Amino acid sequence: MRRPKKYESGEATQYISRRAALRKLQLSLNDFRRLCILKGVYPREPKHRRRAQKGSTEIKVLYHTKDIRFLLHESIVWTLRDYKIFAKKSSRDRAIKDFRNLKRRLALFPEIKLDHIVKERYPTFIDALKDLDDCLTLLFLFSTFPSLQLIPREQSNLCRRLTIEFLHYVIASKSLRKVFISIKGYYFQAEIKGQKVTWIVPHYYPFKPQSRQEVDFKVMSIFVEFYTIMLGFTNFRLFHGLNLAYPPQFPSSVLQDNEDTLKDEASFVSDRIAALNFELLRTDKVQEDEEELDIDMELLEQDGDSKRIIKMKQEAQEVARLRTLFKGLKFFINREVPREPLVIIIRSFGGKVSWDSSIYPGSAYDESDETITHQIVDRPSLGTQYISRDYIQPQWLFDCVNQRQLLPTNKYFLGEKLPPHLSPFVDSKRDTYIPPEEKALLDPSLIETHEQSDESEDEAEKEEEETVDQELLDAQLQLAYQEETAEYKKYGGVDGVNEDEEDLEDDDASDDDDDEEEELDEKAKRLKQEKQKMSVQSGKVHKVNKRQVHKAEVDEHRLQARMVKPRHRNLFRKLIREKQTKEKEEWLLRKKRRTIEADEKEARKTAKREARKEAAVAAAKAAKLGK
Amino acid sequence: MTAVEPGTKRKRISKKNKSAWRKTDIQDVEQFLEDQRQEERIGTFADKKDEDLFVQDATPQKAKTTVLSVKQKRKLNAQKPMRSHQALENTSKVQDPIVKRNHVKQKKNGRNIELEVCNPTKPRHRQANSDRAVYYTKLEQRLEAKKSKKVVADKDIWQEVDFRDAIPGLKDKKGWISRDLALHTAGNIGKKVVKTHASLHHKTTRAKKFELPHPGMSYNPSPEDHQALIEQVVEREEGIIKKEQHLKRVTTSMFAKVTPEERDKRHLQEMSQGIEDEEEQENAEKDDDDKPYHTINAPVENKKKSKQARRNELKQKELQRQTELKRKLKQQTADLIRIKSIRHELDDEEEDLNDLKKRRKQRAEKAKFEPKRLGRHKFEEPDVDVNLPEDIAGNLRNVKTESSLLKDRFHLLQRNNMLPTTKAVSRKKAKVKKYVRNSHKEPGVSYQDLKERRKVAAAAAKVGTATIKI
Repeated sequence: MRRPKKYESGEATQYISRRAALRKLQLSLNDFRRLCILKGVYPREPKHRRRAQKGSTEIKVLYHTKDIRFLLHESIVWTLRDYKIFAKKSSRDRAIKDFRNLKRRLALFPEIKLDHIVKERYPTFIDALKDLDDCLTLLFLFSTFPSLQLIPREQSNLCRRLTIEFLHYVIASKSLRKVFISIKGYYFQAEIKGQKVTWIVPHYYPFKPQSRQEVDFKVMSIFVEFYTIMLGFTNFRLFHGLNLAYPPQFPSSVLQDNEDTLKDEASFVSDRIAALNFELLRTDKVQEDEEELDIDMELLEQDGDSKRIIKMKQEAQEVARLRTLFKGLKFFINREVPREPLVIIIRSFGGKVSWDSSIYPGSAYDESDETITHQIVDRPSLGTQYISRDYIQPQWLFDCVNQRQLLPTNKYFLGEKLPPHLSPFVDSKRDTYIPPEEKALLDPSLIETHEQSDESEDEAEKEEEETVDQELLDAQLQLAYQEETAEYKKYGGVDGVNEDEEDLEDDDASDDDDDEEEELDEKAKRLKQEKQKMSVQSGKVHKVNKRQVHKAEVDEHRLQARMVKPRHRNLFRKLIREKQTKEKEEWLLRKKRRTIEADEKEARKTAKREARKEAAVAAAKAAKLGK
Repeated sequence: MTAVEPGTKRKRISKKNKSAWRKTDIQDVEQFLEDQRQEERIGTFADKKDEDLFVQDATPQKAKTTVLSVKQKRKLNAQKPMRSHQALENTSKVQDPIVKRNHVKQKKNGRNIELEVCNPTKPRHRQANSDRAVYYTKLEQRLEAKKSKKVVADKDIWQEVDFRDAIPGLKDKKGWISRDLALHTAGNIGKKVVKTHASLHHKTTRAKKFELPHPGMSYNPSPEDHQALIEQVVEREEGIIKKEQHLKRVTTSMFAKVTPEERDKRHLQEMSQGIEDEEEQENAEKDDDDKPYHTINAPVENKKKSKQARRNELKQKELQRQTELKRKLKQQTADLIRIKSIRHELDDEEEDLNDLKKRRKQRAEKAKFEPKRLGRHKFEEPDVDVNLPEDIAGNLRNVKTESSLLKDRFHLLQRNNMLPTTKAVSRKKAKVKKYVRNSHKEPGVSYQDLKERRKVAAAAAKVGTATIKI
């Protein structure tokens, strides 16, 4: 038997250095980089570097040998080699000024086809959606770029087109869920096919050049090259899922022949599409309504109502409400406000929007339109104002979407100091301690009760009457608003409420009529009897037996613990422990706060008492002096 | 070689030596011979006809001087035979003495493609023609496609497609062709179905792919969130400062500082280390001269042990072995009493081992979330983006953006093990020394000039004051 040599098996053969891979694939380093990025083959870190590098200890870039062998099969390797040939031949033509040949060569430029790679890297559509975060952020960023040395203008134009198409989908499907303005840019989160897709849109500022020391533009450009293809196919599928024509087109009703349209139809249409303010051409005639969701929820009801299902139902209701959040509202965007993010938000929740026609084409109505309900402004004051509309700052829209309800606009009025803009990505129903200020921001009802209790306790605080008055006014406003929302929540929609009530009344009325006609006497008798029986008794407060509740909870917990499979026992214990620690932390923090507040209150009281005493003493002195 | 002027007397020259003979003027003879040869070459005047010798001048006296452009001149020059070939031209009138030569039939340079296209004679010509037709149809198609705007995506690639549908022979509705057979055939046809191996889709990091923003990064954050973010940043910064200080402590400040004089002195001392030693050695050698000589490496002597010595050695060894055995036995009996403490020791040891195992496991778990070492440079976490409290404007109009999104993306790719960390290398340009030529220099101002100017200024001032006085 042959004696086995060192580094002929095991880890040494599993890895291959980049140089060796280049030699094997017969590509230049640049081509290899490109191929790897396009195919999604990335360098690896071995477990034992010395073994993988056949004894050498310097840190090399290593790849899996299997990966490189996989690249050998790729058809674009041949295209990359063709590039080299193309470059040689065309440069020769250029040198000898054989422009006829050069033109012919350029027409036959070997283009890389990436369709099969997209399919290969994302075997299912859901896989592609899962990886859309990175893709969208990068493309939104590149769509703002001018033509740079390593980024051709066509690429940034293509990025712009694809992102606009995607936004059209988001608007049409009403899948936007969360929005956030950060110092990095605008965060958007949409739910597409059950996947949460998050992306960042950069702030709309003039382009700032990026130093090439920090970022490798060539590499980023290659990533974008792949992502454009991927987003193209994703858009195609998404559009077809909604029965929209792809590439997006206008219905002929919108496009009327006038001077502008006839002059340059293509640019006219692309401008209107980029404005995001019009419905797109559908492949089917019927406007589909969202009935599927209701059906799903009904089916779920049969399974009984465990906590999870109740939660899901609530979520579904909230989402349904969110989708029509701005329905019936008419917005006008002032010129200093960034147009695109606001248009996306307003349109995807059913609102109507327009802007000054001189900023961007595609505005629907003028500023002087009296039916406008909200005008979005971002400046301290405004010259002419209409009474019929609210002048609000853009944050109102973002906060409304994040809280899934229309907030009172008074805090967001023109020139008002805005309340903090909270991140929707932090779970507001998290188990940890939430300070009452944040709670109040999320649910205005809490702050009110807090203030009221303060007032009732502190009887001495009658001096600050003005402020109290204002607070009271605010509180009243909020109370009214709460009642509204409570009603809304109860019945799940304004329209539903009215109809139901009317129906009930109608039924009652008709019943009454019949009774009166047929059996007047009997009814009267019965009524009398009932009246005699009837008496008003003081109501009893339903008492909850705390012990019993606790016992039931403990029992349930025990049952749960018993149901856990043995292999999951450790996990279960861990979860329980985590929950306990969290609860304890929360309790501690709350206690801390309580003690601090109590101390503060005590201090205030003593201060007041002393002040009063001093005043009394001073008064006595004054009286003495007077005597 | 000077021509002899008439009237001057010829100088008598001695013809004694060979060198003297050289001075004789033989120009007339040579001239004659040259003329004769020329006549032989081009013939005598007498032989030639008048028409050959003279040409009737039909052109008008003064021809218009046409001004040719550079391009035209070039064109005309191009028609002329090449200058370099002029030497090859046969200008001799002497007839070729050898009449019969082997004439080489000149072959035509290259193929005449036009001829091949118009009337193909060979099968390869026909093949080439058909290939050319395919090429040009493709070209036309490409050009047309370029004219009409291309769409990136024109199909649903995620539709389930069987590879067998693309190959006509393999479509079987009756189930006669197994999948394996179809795979095999497809490979041999040249449409190999390549399987992606699962490790391509494996995640290399457990860290989140897309990081959601910290609530403190809001353009108008609540004070608590903002404070939390700033605390994060401060903690990080403190860590960096601590590390720097540590490095400084263990390197720079570890060495005591000395004055320059002291340093020079030490340097001198260090540099002259060997010299003094040598002197001392020499002195020592001088001293040693009196003592008897000793070698440094004395030769090894093979001293034989006596039999008695060997016996003693063996005895000693045996004795040692026995005492060791006894000691061990004693230890064992003693350990019987120590059983409890031994058990404790063992337990402690086990606990330590468990601890180690736990820690290793924890470290491995943590490493799963950290970026891997892919290249020469280590990935360093970029700074957290934060708006300082004074930068928060509170409205959208005056937002101060803090980060470059592109840089952020680039770092994210590196953190997700998709790119090895690199450092941009900038090539240093050679420094070009610049100076002004003397001929281009502006005349400088001399000291004397300045002095004169000052004098003039002073005089002017004097006059000014004088006038004011008046």
